[in-house]
Amino acid sequence: MDLSFLVVQLISGLSLATLLFLVASGLTLIFGVGNVFNFAHGSFYMLGAYFAYQTIAAFSANFWLATLAAGIGAGIAGMIAESLFLRRIYGRTEEGGFQILLTYSFILVIDDLVKIIWGTEYKTILRPEGLRGSIELFGITLPSYNLAIIGIGFVLVVVAWFILGRTRPGRIARATALDREMMNAMGVNVPLTMTLVFGIATMLGGFAGALAAPLRSVTPGAGIEVIIDSLIVVVIGGMGNFWGAWFGALILGEVIAFAVVLVPEWASVVSYVVMVLTLIFKPEGLFAPRSVRKV
Amino acid sequence: MRKHRVLGIVLVAVLAFILVPFAQAQEKVVKIGSLFPMTGRAGLYGLDSVDAAEMAVEEINAKGGVAGYKLEFTNTDSKAKPADAVRIAKRYIDEDKVHFLFGVVSSAVGLALTEVSKQNKKIFIGTDHASTQLTVDKFQPYYFRVSNNTFQSMAAGALYLKELAQTKPWTTIAYVGPDYAYGHDQWNELKYNLDRFGVKYKIVGEYWPKLFAPDYTPFITSIIKDKPDILISGLWGGDSVAFIKQATPFGLFEKTLFCSPDAGGNYEVMSATGAELPLGLVLSARHHNNWPDTAANKEYVQKFFKKTGRYPTYAAEGAYAGILAIAQAVEKVGNPNDADKLVKALEGMKIQLPEDPEGFTSYIDPATHQIVQVQAVGVTVANDKFPPAKRMLGEWKIYKAEDLLPPKEYIESKQKK
Amino acid sequence: MEIRNNYKEIVFWAILFVIFGSLPIIGSSSYHLMLASHILLWGLFAVAFNMLWGVTGMLSFGQALYFGLGGYGVGLMVRHVGSDWFVPGIGLGLIAAAILSFAIGLLIIRVSGVFFTVLTLAFGQLVWQITFRWYEFTGGDDGIQGIIPPGILSNKLFYYYATLLIVIASIWLLRRISLSPLGVLLRCVRQNPNRVSFIGQSVRYSQLRIYIVSSVFSALAGGLMAGVDNSIHTDMLYWTTSGEVILMSVLGGIGQFFGPFIGTAVFIVIQEFVGAKTEYWPLIIGLIMMTMVLLLPRGLVGEFEALKTRLQSRMVADRG
Repeated sequence: MDLSFLVVQLISGLSLATLLFLVASGLTLIFGVGNVFNFAHGSFYMLGAYFAYQTIAAFSANFWLATLAAGIGAGIAGMIAESLFLRRIYGRTEEGGFQILLTYSFILVIDDLVKIIWGTEYKTILRPEGLRGSIELFGITLPSYNLAIIGIGFVLVVVAWFILGRTRPGRIARATALDREMMNAMGVNVPLTMTLVFGIATMLGGFAGALAAPLRSVTPGAGIEVIIDSLIVVVIGGMGNFWGAWFGALILGEVIAFAVVLVPEWASVVSYVVMVLTLIFKPEGLFAPRSVRKV
Repeated sequence: MRKHRVLGIVLVAVLAFILVPFAQAQEKVVKIGSLFPMTGRAGLYGLDSVDAAEMAVEEINAKGGVAGYKLEFTNTDSKAKPADAVRIAKRYIDEDKVHFLFGVVSSAVGLALTEVSKQNKKIFIGTDHASTQLTVDKFQPYYFRVSNNTFQSMAAGALYLKELAQTKPWTTIAYVGPDYAYGHDQWNELKYNLDRFGVKYKIVGEYWPKLFAPDYTPFITSIIKDKPDILISGLWGGDSVAFIKQATPFGLFEKTLFCSPDAGGNYEVMSATGAELPLGLVLSARHHNNWPDTAANKEYVQKFFKKTGRYPTYAAEGAYAGILAIAQAVEKVGNPNDADKLVKALEGMKIQLPEDPEGFTSYIDPATHQIVQVQAVGVTVANDKFPPAKRMLGEWKIYKAEDLLPPKEYIESKQKK
Repeated sequence: MEIRNNYKEIVFWAILFVIFGSLPIIGSSSYHLMLASHILLWGLFAVAFNMLWGVTGMLSFGQALYFGLGGYGVGLMVRHVGSDWFVPGIGLGLIAAAILSFAIGLLIIRVSGVFFTVLTLAFGQLVWQITFRWYEFTGGDDGIQGIIPPGILSNKLFYYYATLLIVIASIWLLRRISLSPLGVLLRCVRQNPNRVSFIGQSVRYSQLRIYIVSSVFSALAGGLMAGVDNSIHTDMLYWTTSGEVILMSVLGGIGQFFGPFIGTAVFIVIQEFVGAKTEYWPLIIGLIMMTMVLLLPRGLVGEFEALKTRLQSRMVADRG
């Protein structure tokens, strides 16, 4: 393995990791801030891809505009789902289980609605103008779109960190995660906060779906394929932790990238192995706050 | 007053339930119970298959059916799950009294159903699943397959590579395919066929992404490092699309010849990649919309387009062929009730299909119950006659059906195991 | 309280015996027998699953792991040793499930709530992925076919009655466990884990025990299932199987011991009926699920009970 290949494979892993992170970011946000485990997060990712496709097909819109529209569309869909359905089960005994069931039913319904509206044929989105080619770096060919995505992922981490950690709405959101009743007593509009956070989380999902679409095939059922991977990322990084998700994705992406080279036969199992090792040694995830261990 | 109306509706419904079976029993029908998946990734093929099968049924019934019987086709979504498929097949056999089991995309479902077919002595017409096992190791007399299996595609691929070596010498080869039975079978069968045809090669890489993997970037960069002359791909459908889209900007297709002989040339790959599909890839499929250039094929493709508003994938032609085979067998036997006589009729049967070029008729090999067909391997060229695809295959190389069959030793060694 | 419970139980057992016992006598087709066997075995699976969630409050999203392990115990024995080894194969599945659930249980009962759920899902997927790709040993995605029980078990009718008896005996046993001191303790854990540890009982040890019990009975259901379908497949281990069993339990009512069994029967019949009529079955199942979670969270049995109680109290009030 020579040095230039090492660099290429590192970047390759980084590109994989960033897409994993973009999808997982919404999942971890809604878990960390909303304390909701949204099993249907992948479906909002899929909706994003379809919204972007539709925007381009209907208005022959620019890719970035379509991505924006996809994010907003998925965000609105998320807010509707939250305010009409999820809100009703907060605070119930066994809330966790019912959350999973309810969001699981979202998967089934959204998948079929997508099939009814758009059919089963694969839809295509082209890479944005100017990012269709590749650049040469020290004799290495790297696609410019992948590099752009790596950049977007990094910007997202920093912005999210700033908003959640350094601004007032961010702090309110995090406090709501810790104690909904207390925040209510302090005059925070908890239901509105929850709806907004849910909307932002699904918006991130939709955004990721649109960004990934030019590299993948847009089909019904696409959401189910990403949800398990995102879950692994979130488990490794520690549920509810933004930086954790980024590091989790990074670890997973690089491990896969090098497993492909070193143990190609086991490449498909490697992500589960990383997860199980994490779980054995740190069941709460690598970067989680210490409070989740029980009793 | 309202009570009476409700009572009336209930009565009518009950009557309808009782009378419907009688009404159906009046007419003589050949019942075909099909189990195509309508959901998930394979749903696209299921939908195409059902549409094409219905098209064939309509054609035959419009001509007055066969031997005094009308064809009746029903599909239940098997969800591509073997356990569900087994239960549905049982219902078809016991309740609906179907004469034929029909369909399926997934080989796993096919394998589970061939077991049901064997135990209940009910003919199962396989249309789309590709696993060679069904006609070799797991062969049973009531199973027939009316589309090529992976062995045949891989034999065609191997012959293509053999000819290529004479004009453009190559030595190294790498493989990428989904990490499950279908992916592994293709690679083993390709290697077997290369050896059989006396082709010398050196393997420089084998890659096994998981089925439905969304991201192939690390695989692509690693393949580029291996510098294979030939890259064989066993990916299908959306996976093939994603791989091609992701690999193009890395310049992979300029550095290596991409060859996907089983499912790479299926129409949905071309419709989903449009102008992004690089030129010069060597692909094939079990049916092509633009080959052979015969009236029958053109008519079939246009009819399908008129019915559905889209062009068919190869799954559609398999289902179409299956209905034709059933009709022909029933015609010959005179009724759909005697399974053993139908088996005899199907063995060695010749069926004229859209994918047959001039001068060739597909036939069912009596020894393995596998259809024997010509396979054409092509290269991607610009062609926008089948939108939304912007590329179609061209520069065809045609391989004789008999050359693609597994040799006797191969079948025997597999059956012994 | 005791008497009412007994009355309810008697009704349940009577239904189980009469309906399922008389099915073959009233001349049902082998399809009906298969449907009935699926209800019985998924029902056992759901009741075993609910020992975790309904009784203890631990929601596992990975019970498919043990269901599949039971199936693969049989399948692998038949594939590698021979079809005479069907019954030992079931035993193998049970032992494997006991050992694996002990090992995994030790790791995952360290966390609770959604964390527990996600971990069970993770382990389930790991085993699924290994089975899926270990083609030489497990048959991979092709699954294993031709699992025909040997000897008298190959008679469908005999196999059906054997299944019925085993399922009834298992559910009875699980019922006893849920009423035993362990069961009572676990209900307390569900309500207040801290208090249980204050009175000197080990919460984790009890949870581990119930996790193993639930897993072993799930494996039993899976093993018997292999003989009904005559084939097994990696789908048995996939997370959607875990999801389905949760759904069946909620449909019937997780607060009721027999709820999951009733839920299973209703679910399988609906699925069979809807699936035959429309390809949009996921939409319909999804809508049913939403309705149950939002409007009828106690499940069919639970809501029925609540309705009865309300009617009774109104009758009492009227009389008074």
